[in-house]
Parts: sequence; structure tokens; C-alpha cells
Amino acid sequence: MDVVLLLQRIFDALFNSAIYSSLALALVIIFRSTGLLNFAQGEMATFSAYIAFVLLAGAAPGVKGGGLAAWIGAPLVTPVAIGLAVIIGIGAGAATERVLIRPLRNAPELAMVNVTIGILLALNSLMGQWWGTGPRIFPPFFPSSPGDHIDIAGARIRYSTIGAWLVLLALLLLLALLLRYTRAGLAFRAVSIDPVSAALNGIRVGPTLMYGWALAAGLGAIAANMSANSVLLEPTMMVRVLVYAFAAATLGGLDSPKGALVGGVVVGLSQTLIPAYVPFIGFELSVLPALVAMVVVLIVRPAGLFGTQRIERV
Amino acid sequence: MSGDDWPTPMPRPGDDDDAGAEASVFAVFAPPETEIHGAPAGAGDPGPEPEADEPAATATPRDADDPVETGARGAQPAAAGLSVRSGPPVTPTANPPVGGVVDAGGADRGVRHRRRISPLRWASAALLGVWLVAMPLTSSVTELRQNTQIIVMVLAVLGVNVATGYGGMISLGHGVFVAVGAFAAAYALDDLALPWAVSILAGAAFAGLVGALVGLPALRIKGIHLALVTLGLAIVFQPLAKRVPAFSGGVSGRAVGAELVPPSWFGTTRWAEGLYRYLICLAVVGLAMWVTYNVINSRPGRAMRAVRDNDTAAAVHGVNLVASRVNTFAVSASLAGLAGALGIILVPFTSQESFPFQESLVLYATAVLGGLGSLWGSVLGVAIREVFSRIGELLGGVSGLGPLGEFLRLLDEEQFVFGMLLVALTFVFPRGLIGLFNRRRGLPVSPSSQDRT
Repeated sequence: MDVVLLLQRIFDALFNSAIYSSLALALVIIFRSTGLLNFAQGEMATFSAYIAFVLLAGAAPGVKGGGLAAWIGAPLVTPVAIGLAVIIGIGAGAATERVLIRPLRNAPELAMVNVTIGILLALNSLMGQWWGTGPRIFPPFFPSSPGDHIDIAGARIRYSTIGAWLVLLALLLLLALLLRYTRAGLAFRAVSIDPVSAALNGIRVGPTLMYGWALAAGLGAIAANMSANSVLLEPTMMVRVLVYAFAAATLGGLDSPKGALVGGVVVGLSQTLIPAYVPFIGFELSVLPALVAMVVVLIVRPAGLFGTQRIERV
Repeated sequence: MSGDDWPTPMPRPGDDDDAGAEASVFAVFAPPETEIHGAPAGAGDPGPEPEADEPAATATPRDADDPVETGARGAQPAAAGLSVRSGPPVTPTANPPVGGVVDAGGADRGVRHRRRISPLRWASAALLGVWLVAMPLTSSVTELRQNTQIIVMVLAVLGVNVATGYGGMISLGHGVFVAVGAFAAAYALDDLALPWAVSILAGAAFAGLVGALVGLPALRIKGIHLALVTLGLAIVFQPLAKRVPAFSGGVSGRAVGAELVPPSWFGTTRWAEGLYRYLICLAVVGLAMWVTYNVINSRPGRAMRAVRDNDTAAAVHGVNLVASRVNTFAVSASLAGLAGALGIILVPFTSQESFPFQESLVLYATAVLGGLGSLWGSVLGVAIREVFSRIGELLGGVSGLGPLGEFLRLLDEEQFVFGMLLVALTFVFPRGLIGLFNRRRGLPVSPSSQDRT
């Protein structure tokens, strides 16, 4: 086995790992606080990437029109556009919670599945209708010219990989600070543990959950904007990513942020390494091992690696 | 509707309809003496026959009773009747786990309710009958084929309904079973040179087998996690199908060589061919619905619903959870597979291209839209889907309205419409549109409500 090649594959995989970890983290935040899986997380994130794309019109090759680039200088335009798109994504996440999720707080699980699946279908179709189903070129979030890499033991680690990890770690730090040192963060943790007791202690559960949805939407939007350059922007861009992220979250434990991080790394690595050494899988089918892993984890150890064991009262 | 108006997930002794229905499911389980095989609903209820003579049109208004209603409600008077009137050792207290007391008052209400057929139901049944007769007579060859495809789709939606509505296992991946049914039927037909009837059954059977395999993890994976896994299955399916070209035709799809031609006395025009295929499909769909109806109202069907409502209680009452879950998934997948197999009669080509994950989600949306836990809900769902697609076509064709036109064009996108409807419906008609026909009809969207505490 070629060690350099293996190392190279691992480095390449780490970029995806960061994306999966971010999205898995977004899923975990929502699952922890509301016990529901947001199937629309990926499409909401993609939508935000499309907003950045529209704001950036004219800034990237293959994109027609003027837009933001006319006002802001070329080097700044990408971060500004992506920042705006993420903020819009956060707003949309909060609005989704307020308008669609909160009224159903006492509804059964199936209602939540219906709503999130409905959003998934509608957004997916909307994006296809407005921006076309074909892939679009999205400007890189990090320097991505062929020379932008560091050599370690003969293998190249790209700036974008390092950048993605820096962003992810910064987000984690920010999240930890938010949850630990702000009132809203404290309220959020209380609601995640026990909404009823939290409510009895005067915490307003609804707005707190909205806060969680906003955080999750922001994480998803950042993940989508980071990866839109490498996977090409298209309406179904995040669909497979969502499966990987779900696999990562399941593996780590659906209510464990630490698990999301570890799960993301594992899934990202296996997504690159398994197809490389198992010819039948190939690139296209690399989502299969993730699904199988998810099923196995759910059967053998539903709490995942770091999740809390659920005890069901009969 | 505010969140507080939701039907209580677990029946309490005081609840009128739901508690009665749920209690009856268990009541039938508990004492062997009260076992009612076959269709309790049909017994002694002389429903008027409709004028149309097609098999599916034996959709009499009486049959139009939702099996959950008739099954549960129909079983209940019998169970209650046995215990109260003829008095074998049947005790209503045999079902404390559900907290339901067999409520004779509820049973009576059920009976009275079933006898009275609302004008709306009459009208719908008549409309369906008239459409089934008039449609082939007035359609062109292409329209007839498209309409037959719509009829066939009822089975796929019914498949979702059996898994989700009756079995309580949310399935977002039924498009996969439709595809597997189509591939298997095509394989049997061309590669194994089997006759049509055998091939179609083989398609359904193979899809059922695959469904049983998928049902195995469902033993441990429940509720929202199962939804996740089945969604994953729907997403994985396309690349997976491309990997087995011998079976699926790979990237380019597989053309079906054999053609279903009517006997010479039937006529040789293309329209006659279409009519022949229409009649065959209609017959198979009708037959499959009838079989499903009976399965749902048989002992396994009641087991299915008992497991849905409370698997622990069902197990306590002697239901084999493994068998029940696998059965449910197999039945549901073979219905979807049958739809796929019938599809290749109509269009002799099948490809993984036609089954993106969105297709599975639209199938799911159609089932929910019509009404889960109701056989006729699935028919209604497909009908509504068709109505919306026609409206969308009409509105999407309007041009020159600027942004409004842009929006109208979106209405021509089935996915968009169904996504929005799915969201809206959850708020407005939590029991699906079949709830319009009867307040009590349709399952309040709660197959796995006991998981959510």
C-alpha cells in the first residue's frame, strides 16, 4: 500500500469531514432541543448558498450580471456575500421555527416529518425552477488555486482543508461560548434537558428553540457556502451531504455535539477511503457505506458513540 | 389549528372515538373467542352495487369505508356484542394496557355511523365510477396510457400507506420498491422469458422480498430514525441501480422487449390495445386493493395496527412483533412493486432515472395528503395529485405576467406543490383530505406517537 497516497487521501477527506461535522452539528442542535430530525437542513443550507451566488453575480466566471461586486471591491466581495447569505440563512431558520415548527410543538412526530419533508421538496423544486437544475460555478471560500497547499511527508494538504477546519473549530468555540456564557445559551441548555422544567422556571421555551434553529441554520449555511465551490452549486448539492451528515450524527450519537465532530471525521474518511480500496463502491456509491453504517449503529447501539442512552418508559 | 388541538396520541378511557377504536384492536386480540376472520365490516351490510362494471369500480360506497374505521369499528361491535350479549368468557378488562374500556356506546355509534352514507361519499363514488367508464371512451391513445399510469400509481401510494398509515413505520423510500418491481418484472419477462402474468407477480414478489429485508432493521429502528433510513435508501438507490446493469439496465435503463397484445377478437387498433391494457391494470389494481382491504382487516392486519399504536401492548397481547413488522413491510413493498411491474405494461421501458429520491418523497406526500390509515385516502391522494397537476399545467401555461407568472410556473412543479401541500396539510387537515369526508376518517398523523414523550 502506498503510504503517501493513503496520506493524501486522508488529507483530501478531511475537507469533507469538516463539512459533514458542521452539518451534523446543526442536526444535533435541533435534535437535542426538539427531538426532531430536520430533513430540510441540507436544502435550507443550499438555499443560502444560492443567495450568496445571487449576491455574487458578476464576481465569478460564468455568472452573469452586476450585483454586489459593483459596490464592494473584488477581494472583499466573496466574504461579504457569503456573510450576508449566512445571516439571511439564520433569519430563515428562525422564521421556519416560528412559523412552521412552533405551532406543532404538541403534534406527533409524523407531523414534524411531514413539515420538514415538505420544506425539502418545496425548496428543492424552487431552487431548480429559479436557478436551474444544472451545476453552477461558485467562487471559492478559501484560496484554491493549484499552488495553495502545504506539503507534509510528500502529501499535499490544501488551504481549503485547513481553512474549513479553522472555520469549524472557530464555530465550535463560538458555540461553546454562546452556550456557556450567555443567558440565551443557558436557557437553551435548560430547554434541551427538560423543556417542561425550563418553562416552569420562567424560560420562554419557544424563543429559545428559535435560537437553536437559528444556530443550526447558520451552521448549515456556512457548511454549504464552504463546500459549494468544490461540489459545484446545484439544487441537490446537499442531498448526499445530508446523508453523510446524518450518518455522522447517528454514529456520534444524535444528541452529542462531540459525537457530531467525531462522526463527521469518521464518515468523511470512510467516504474517501472505502471507494479507493473497494472497487465495487466507486465514487458514486460512496454514500452506501454511510447508509449501512447508519443502519448498523441504529440497530446495535442507537445512542451512538457519545449519545445518551435512551430509556423508554413502558 | 393551534398546536393544542391535536388529537391525543394515546387513547384515554374517556376519549370517545379513538379510544373505542384502539381498544377494539386489542379487544380482538385478547380473547381467542372473539377472533373475527375475514372482513367484519362486510358482514351483514348490504351495500348498493354501483352501475360501473369494472373491477375497481366495485368501489361501493360501503366498501369506501375506511378499513381502520370498519376494521376497528366493525370489529368492535362484534367483540362487544359477543361479550355483552352472548356472553362467552370475553372480558373487556382484557385490555388494560391501552387504557381503553370496551365502550358499547361507542360501538353503537360506530354502527349507526356506518349505515348512513353521506351524499359526499355517494357523489365521489359515482364520480369515480363514471370517470372509469367515460375516460377510456373519450381519451386518445396517449391520454389513456397516462390515465392508466395514474390508476396504477394508486398501488404505490397504497404501499406507502400500508407501511406508514397502518404499520406506523414512516417510509420515505417507496419509490425504490416501485423501481425494483419494474426491474424484476422486466428481468423475468425478457431474460427468463416468463409469461406476463407470472412476470408481474414476480415483480411484486421480488419487491416484497426486498421490502422484507428493509423491514428487518425496522425491528429495532423506529419512528423518525426509520424515516431517516428509508430516505437514505431512496437517495442511495440511483447510484446502486447503476451498479447492477444486468438487472436495472444500468445508466441507460432497460427496454422491455415483450409487448402485451390483446387477443385478436379484442381489436388490433392502438386504441384497443390501450383499452386492453387499461382493463388489465384496472383489474389488477382493484384486485390488489381488495386483497389489501382483507389483509388489513384480518388478524395480521389488526396486529399491524396494534403494533403501530403501541408495540409493547401488542406484544403483551401475543403479537409477534418481528413477524408483524416484516409482514407489513413486505405487503407494502409488494404493492409498490406491483405498481412498478404494471408500469412496464404501459411503457415498455424502465430506468433508475425515473426514480430519483424526490419521486419517493412525492409518493409519501401523496399518501399523507389523501389520508394515512385509509384505503380510499390513497385513491383520493392520487386523484388530488392529478387535479393539482392539471391546474398547475393550466396556470403554468399562462405567460406574460412578470413575477406572478414566475410563481404560477412554480405551480406546475409537482414537487413544489406537494411540498407546500404537505406543510399546509399538516396544519389544516391533520388527518389528510379523507378527513373531509368524515371527521373521524383517516389517521391523525401519529403512527409513532408513543415515541414522542
